Amino acid sequence: MSAIGGRRSAPTGGGLFDLPPELAIDTDVARRVIVEFIRGQLRQAGFERAVVGLSGGIDSALVAYLVAEAIGPERLLCVMLPYRTSALSSRTDAETVVERLGCTGELIEISSMVDAYFGRADSGLVGAVGPDGLGASALRRGNAMARIRMTVLYDRSVTWGGLVIGTSNKTESLIGYTTIFGDAASALNPIGDLYKSQVRQVAAAVGVPDAIIRKAPSADLWPGQTDEAEAGFSYPELDRLLFWLVDRRRSPEELEAKGFAPDRIKWTLKAVAGSEFKRQVAPIAKLGPRTAGLDYLYPRRRPGSART
Amino acid sequence: MQPLRIALAQIAPRLGLLDENLASHHALIAQARSGGAGLVVFPELGLTGYLLQDLAAEVAMRLDDPRLVELAAATAGDGPEAVSAIVSFVEESADHRLFIAVALLEDGRVRHVQRKLFLPTYGLFDERRFFAAGDLLRATPSRLGVGVGLSVCEDFWHLGVPQLLALDGAQLLVNVSSSPGRDLAALNEVGLGTATSWRTLLRTYAQLTTSFVVFVNRVGVDESISFWGGSEVIGPSGEAVFSAPLYDEGLYFADVDLGDVRRERIALPLLRDERLELAVRELGRIVSERAGQADDSTAEPGSPPGLDVAPR
Repeated sequence: MSAIGGRRSAPTGGGLFDLPPELAIDTDVARRVIVEFIRGQLRQAGFERAVVGLSGGIDSALVAYLVAEAIGPERLLCVMLPYRTSALSSRTDAETVVERLGCTGELIEISSMVDAYFGRADSGLVGAVGPDGLGASALRRGNAMARIRMTVLYDRSVTWGGLVIGTSNKTESLIGYTTIFGDAASALNPIGDLYKSQVRQVAAAVGVPDAIIRKAPSADLWPGQTDEAEAGFSYPELDRLLFWLVDRRRSPEELEAKGFAPDRIKWTLKAVAGSEFKRQVAPIAKLGPRTAGLDYLYPRRRPGSART
Repeated sequence: MQPLRIALAQIAPRLGLLDENLASHHALIAQARSGGAGLVVFPELGLTGYLLQDLAAEVAMRLDDPRLVELAAATAGDGPEAVSAIVSFVEESADHRLFIAVALLEDGRVRHVQRKLFLPTYGLFDERRFFAAGDLLRATPSRLGVGVGLSVCEDFWHLGVPQLLALDGAQLLVNVSSSPGRDLAALNEVGLGTATSWRTLLRTYAQLTTSFVVFVNRVGVDESISFWGGSEVIGPSGEAVFSAPLYDEGLYFADVDLGDVRRERIALPLLRDERLELAVRELGRIVSERAGQADDSTAEPGSPPGLDVAPR
């Protein structure tokens, strides 16, 4: 790896995206660490294969590229899991990734599973949850879709014989823009410490198609939905705020002095604090002498834990 | 000329798998010897892996453990067949404290043991929860013909450690590490904040102690943490003699002339000019002031003994 080392000038998004200078990272080092992380985790767990749910967005595309680099495309299963209202462009973008990588791609429509639960107003179908399901909010439906996708990925994990690789980035994890036990569920997460801007930077470095890097991030729950419209501000701005708040330990007053708008600071602090529970395992009521996570502390992948 | 070939074992130990790691140490000692090395250095906890948590007690060895004795025996040999090895493991004392230890093995025996003095317990580190801190810092003579000073990772983030080792007679300072790489940035020297900090420390210590500094850092992954390697040998003038690549596992060889220490110390007699009695006197004063046994010269007027702020 001769590429590592040597001083270089600050990278930019090269016109493809907006990269705040303080978030710029050495993509050669990032790529090397992540690829070794994926290999090490799989080896410790006794697996050689992996499963990634491909949405057509940049996060899962980047993860697929990195996993393919780590273990070879022939060991990677990418599963596309559209609902009937998902954008067609999401699917074609995901198919482009599968094609470019030369990995195995699989399409599993989740519409019938989601509709079997909530029902379907336009055809008069009442779902398992009863008539109430017909008017389920976008939040309920979105969470259910994320968890059904997780269910499929973990089932395919068994048949493919590979671990489910997580695709949540640091930005969405910190503000809680994830579904617990849905898209936030995984066996390991290679990009969970990269802000969205850094995901874009690494994605550009590993060759994720420009169209995927350029398009507006979206949960794709309804036509035209975008993350940035929902949050009310842009990823570069949110990433910068989170970086100074979390990584550089700045107080709200110091953030304001740096030029961040007070309402944005307030919104972010609330989002971060309010989603703390999503980033941690559930607490166990302490009763016995030794309790998992408190005073029974072992590496997740300890000797003897590997599958084979 | 006092030539010495140093082998840097920049390895990825298997977490908690003592037997596997012992086997790889035996193999690498043999490889270092056949490569003409007089010294082979392994990283911190190279025999056990780093992120042990409750596994620490399960992989601990007493100094009389047959497995350690056998590893030490592998260093025996006549003339060029002899090799010194610096290895690191979890040491259990007779009173059942667990230490992170580094040992110099040579002439077929355990020549010297240094227990890690500073156990980082902040940020991503939790060492004090699982380990006891060493109380003793000593340089050791060696068959290499120079004094050797051993230290473990965080020990080198405390200025006194390299200085005390050099003053105690070490001309070859060895730091074995399991340094987690973090703070990825675009503008650091090698793209990694941790590496940039370490590289600065190593060069500074070598220059200020006019000694060789050997740094061996592991690679591989324990859980979330990736170790960055980048092992180095720095000469007594502060210039790098050898720098291993970041993240690449391997046994790397570096040739040095230990005679450089004499040349540097004659030209730049920093150690000669050290004022030990001054340091002892001032340290004694500071300890007394902190303990409230003497007036604190820098405290606010009216502060109670041992406190540096006067309550209002």
